[in-house]
Amino acid sequence: MNAALALRRFVAGYGRSLVAYAVVAILWIAASLLIKGFGAYAHLRYIVELAAVIGLVGIGQTVAVIGGGIDLSVSAIITVTAIILPLVTFGADTTGLGAILAALIVAAGIGAVNGLGVGYLGLPPLIMTLAMATILQGLLILIAGGSAISVTNPSLDWLGSTHVLTISVSIILWAIVAALCLFWLHGTRSGSLIFAIGANPVVSRLSGVSIRRLTLITYVISGLCSGLAGLLLLSMNGQGYVGIGDPYLLSSIAAVVLGGTSILGGQGSYLGTMAGAVLLVTMTALITVVNASEGWRSVILGCLILAMLPLSGRDQSR
Amino acid sequence: MFGQGARLYWAIQWRRNEGLGALFLVLALFAVLYAILFPGIFAIGAMAKFVQGWFPTAMVAAAETIVMLTGGIDLSVGPMVSLGSVVAASTMQGPFGVLGGVLALLALGAGVGAIVGAFVAIGRYPAIIVTLALSFVLRGIALLIMPRPGGYVPASLSEFLAGSHPTAAVLLVFLVILWKLYQATPLGIGLIAVGDNAEGAYRSGVNVTRVRMSAYIISGVLQALTGLYVAAQTGSGDPLIGEPLTLAAIAAAVLGGVGFLGGQGAMRGALAGSLLMSILINVMFFMGLPLVAQYVVQGLIIIATVALPLIRASLRRIA
Repeated sequence: MNAALALRRFVAGYGRSLVAYAVVAILWIAASLLIKGFGAYAHLRYIVELAAVIGLVGIGQTVAVIGGGIDLSVSAIITVTAIILPLVTFGADTTGLGAILAALIVAAGIGAVNGLGVGYLGLPPLIMTLAMATILQGLLILIAGGSAISVTNPSLDWLGSTHVLTISVSIILWAIVAALCLFWLHGTRSGSLIFAIGANPVVSRLSGVSIRRLTLITYVISGLCSGLAGLLLLSMNGQGYVGIGDPYLLSSIAAVVLGGTSILGGQGSYLGTMAGAVLLVTMTALITVVNASEGWRSVILGCLILAMLPLSGRDQSR
Repeated sequence: MFGQGARLYWAIQWRRNEGLGALFLVLALFAVLYAILFPGIFAIGAMAKFVQGWFPTAMVAAAETIVMLTGGIDLSVGPMVSLGSVVAASTMQGPFGVLGGVLALLALGAGVGAIVGAFVAIGRYPAIIVTLALSFVLRGIALLIMPRPGGYVPASLSEFLAGSHPTAAVLLVFLVILWKLYQATPLGIGLIAVGDNAEGAYRSGVNVTRVRMSAYIISGVLQALTGLYVAAQTGSGDPLIGEPLTLAAIAAAVLGGVGFLGGQGAMRGALAGSLLMSILINVMFFMGLPLVAQYVVQGLIIIATVALPLIRASLRRIA
């Protein structure tokens, strides 16, 4: 295969993702020229730090959507992780890593229940994850009530405040998990089978793909990544409360779609979701610069997503 | 000839109950439980109040179902209801009064529905992302018109719609009749055809674009009118009051067997689904369950109702 053909294949496969990167680049350059301080390294780094949370949630959402499903319980899992951490903190665990591990196991466990419901019981993903979100919401009120819970966890503090070679640890964490996800989706057998399931579940099953097991894995990954995002959010915020994860449900779906992954499944890449996450945070930052009221912010963000639609591609199957 | 036609009609109607057995059974169980817990429900006044509690969910479930039957989805139901309540509470104090307010709401619902329809039916963009983005826009506009709850709805209107009369029940029956009539028109028949197989429907002469467009417009009008009803119930407008209704509408429709891919399900299922959720909330309230348990039980029952037929089907396949 010569280089030109490889390039053409790359553009054909990732063209929609590339559009999102191009828009981010244009926005960043234009905003840097027009708004004083926007292009400063620290500010751009801050944007990427905020995007890391959406980006981590977006991993699970991308994998679920490519596999023909969707995960509406991500926001509830984020909140659960952020609130459960103080409860699983124990004295002998001086680094705080034990508590983090326990919280991530809970998150992955919730994802596993989703996966069992969707994969083995055959429930529609939307209804399974929606019901899971409802159940978790009830449990959260029981655990946390209306109050904010603050936490002291040395590892988490390190995660939220340290820079390695001026790059925040949170961004490095995102980059590592993103690389793993991209390798799994595009470089392994089980990853490519997720695309097959999303494109046509019946044909996949008849071809001997173990749909149930792979669906289970999909939702475990989604739970785990939402858990990571919850921890990251907690490290930035310093305290967890009921509702801390709520904004991330819609923004994770928006990031997936802006990144060019087909909401109908079987098509897309996490590469695009990463750009989508940065794009969303950039838009929000720009709106904040204009100093708009909450109502205007919401209107502008919605209109921007609508305006992005022609760029992120049409619904081809209909 | 007429007899044969009628027999065919009822045979088709009966077949459309398929797969809804579990839902109807669960619904009947909870209805009996509710009647035992609260025997006073059989009084006209109590019944009227119960239907009033159910009415908004039933309306948005119907709005969601129309769109889902065509293979779309609407994630902006909640903000649309909020905007409707805000517009109702701010226009009815204007010079044109109640009539002006109702006309404004009809225009709002049809207008927003037409915008969504233009994106989805003509532009062919995925409904999920169009309505997601639109939900931000509508929420923002509602907050701009009314940053905090306020405005006012004439007390006479509140009394008429949400007072001691069973107006909501009458309206519901009226809407069901309208729905039956709509399903007798080409556009109504096209709904399910387009959702099931858009290409096939197009080749059979169904105007796919017009069917989808009118589905979104009707859905928008229903949502805006739900906003009016909610405003009449509370006596004022609230820019956030509709928020929980987005998920309630989808949950009711899916409980009622309406599929996400379109062309699957019936309005009766969605209405039964919304009724089940409404009864559940009442039963749990009467049993004195804490709010925590209410959420958990609601989630479990939704899963169980959808899972039961699936489990039974897979058992039958093994046997």
